[in-house]
Amino acid sequence: MGNVEVKALDGVTLDIAKGEFLGIMGPSGSGKTTLLHMLGLLDEPTSGKILIDGMDLSKLTDYEKTMFRLYKLGYVFQDYALVPDLTVMENVSLPAMLRKDRTEEQYRKDSHGILQKIGLCDRRDHLPRELSGGQQQRVSLARAMVNKPDILFADEPCANLDTENSRVVLDLFREINESMKQTIVMVSHEDWHKDYFHRIIRLKDGKVVSDGINGKTSS
Amino acid sequence: MGQKELKVAFLLALRSLQRGSRSSAILTILIIGLCFTNMLFLPSMFSGIGQSITKQLVDYEVSNVLVSPKSGEQYITDLDATLDLINGMPGVQRASPQYSKGATFKYRQRVLGVSVRAISPTDEKEVSPVYTKMVAGSYLGEGDTGEIIIGKPIAGDASVRQEDEFQESLGGVRVGDSITVEYGNGYTKDYRIKGIYSTGWSPIDSAAFVTWTDMEQVEGQTLDKANYITVRAKPGYSEQFIKNELLAYGVGVNGKVQTMTDMLSKSVGKVLQSFAIINMVSLIVSIIITTVVLFIVITIKTLNSRKQIGILKAIGVDKGVIMHNYGFQVIILGILGIILGIIITLVLAAYMAVHPIVTPEWSATLYITPFDLLTNSVILFCAAVVAGYVPAYQVSREDIQAAMRA
Repeated sequence: MGNVEVKALDGVTLDIAKGEFLGIMGPSGSGKTTLLHMLGLLDEPTSGKILIDGMDLSKLTDYEKTMFRLYKLGYVFQDYALVPDLTVMENVSLPAMLRKDRTEEQYRKDSHGILQKIGLCDRRDHLPRELSGGQQQRVSLARAMVNKPDILFADEPCANLDTENSRVVLDLFREINESMKQTIVMVSHEDWHKDYFHRIIRLKDGKVVSDGINGKTSS
Repeated sequence: MGQKELKVAFLLALRSLQRGSRSSAILTILIIGLCFTNMLFLPSMFSGIGQSITKQLVDYEVSNVLVSPKSGEQYITDLDATLDLINGMPGVQRASPQYSKGATFKYRQRVLGVSVRAISPTDEKEVSPVYTKMVAGSYLGEGDTGEIIIGKPIAGDASVRQEDEFQESLGGVRVGDSITVEYGNGYTKDYRIKGIYSTGWSPIDSAAFVTWTDMEQVEGQTLDKANYITVRAKPGYSEQFIKNELLAYGVGVNGKVQTMTDMLSKSVGKVLQSFAIINMVSLIVSIIITTVVLFIVITIKTLNSRKQIGILKAIGVDKGVIMHNYGFQVIILGILGIILGIIITLVLAAYMAVHPIVTPEWSATLYITPFDLLTNSVILFCAAVVAGYVPAYQVSREDIQAAMRA
């Protein structure tokens, strides 16, 4: 940061299994978002490797990383991050439209399907500003899921939601994880969110201080 | 960059313009439209002035081809034979001779030096539209004697005091009045004002016309010579064709043959060259303004959207798609702006056709050709594309983390 070297992460090593709902928790500045961004190829580690399905992602070019994110990964951000000028349907379809292996009919069908799953099919022609925060976050989730990613990354998805909407969103995450065996890595700083996680990694000052199955953590 | 990516980029661009800030889009289109109008206005006005000058030279001075005396000679001789020869050529509408003589006009206390031109009214009507520019009285008839038509500035206005006149005149002489004309050879004669004309072309309006018959009386002999012969081409025949014909038939033996273009390049060539330089400067300034404005508009758009751009890249939208998104926005705005500019320009041209800018020497309308519209559209479009794609390219390459933190 500026001229001062700060280790956002320091010697973090972890494995994530298919179908796992992993929570990354810790105090502010512990490196949670940095870890999530590195796992999601949004940032590069100064040393170390990231392997997904055995593939060393550090060797990929910028374009290859972009395509990897498009085809294999999904993202939900804390401020929804929807394109304000696109309708719900268009926002959800956006990643699918770019895939070379999907026709228009296919991505429309996929988008329709995922919107039905999250319960917002009737709002598909609305713009983001016409939706509540919770609805926007559900649309963001649908966008992340439309390409059936290998891993879904969520960076504090409930940070801007009230408790009720947070539960709705987290219930959706749980349902997707259980019904579709979707691997989810989620950053959170709310303690009650841990009820949704299979496994929790706690960070402090860039280091892993605990890592274990929810309810049976090990330091 | 495949077709799908371009389609997505176009969709993003279209939606941004459709659902984004309307006022920003409208303002940008208006600026481009006005820049386009500015690009065309001055050059087309100069072209209009040039066209006006050319038309007036053709109508009142040179016609399509001018036969003038050989170097060192004052007159074209063997006039009747020369006229018969020219009028018999294919492509020639009519040839009309003019014979000029300096004179002093006297009316009441006013004295004025004027060039009197002798014409054959029947021939002259085929070559020059002066007969359609009568503001009072009527044109000369073949064989009229003792009658004269004068330009409106010569006639003057009785309500204007002599010391306040822009140009010396006879102080408000009217049709039917009698004036005294003293010719350079000492011949003096009273003429009745048969008509007053106004063409807008100063050299003609500052002259007077009498018939050929009348001038023969003044000279005291049959006139078989002329100061020059103006030749009007029939529609579909070029000036160069007529000139080549005249030269082939030996008209060049008795006189010098020049087309209107030959004359123009000598007389007003430098003026038109100056216009061309000013036009070029105006064009460059307009292009610079448009480029800078569009560059600023797109740069502001991209700066305001940095976070969104970061998010799009995060979810797998390639930087090329992002770049073309903004590029397409500029293209759409550019096209709409150019269309608006064309409409404004054509409306201005139509308005000025009815209400031209009138100066003492000429009247200016906007002279615009489809080629002018096309070339300026292409130039402005290219400038818009460059102005839009440069900031779009720069922002598309920004680091994801830096963009998302914006």
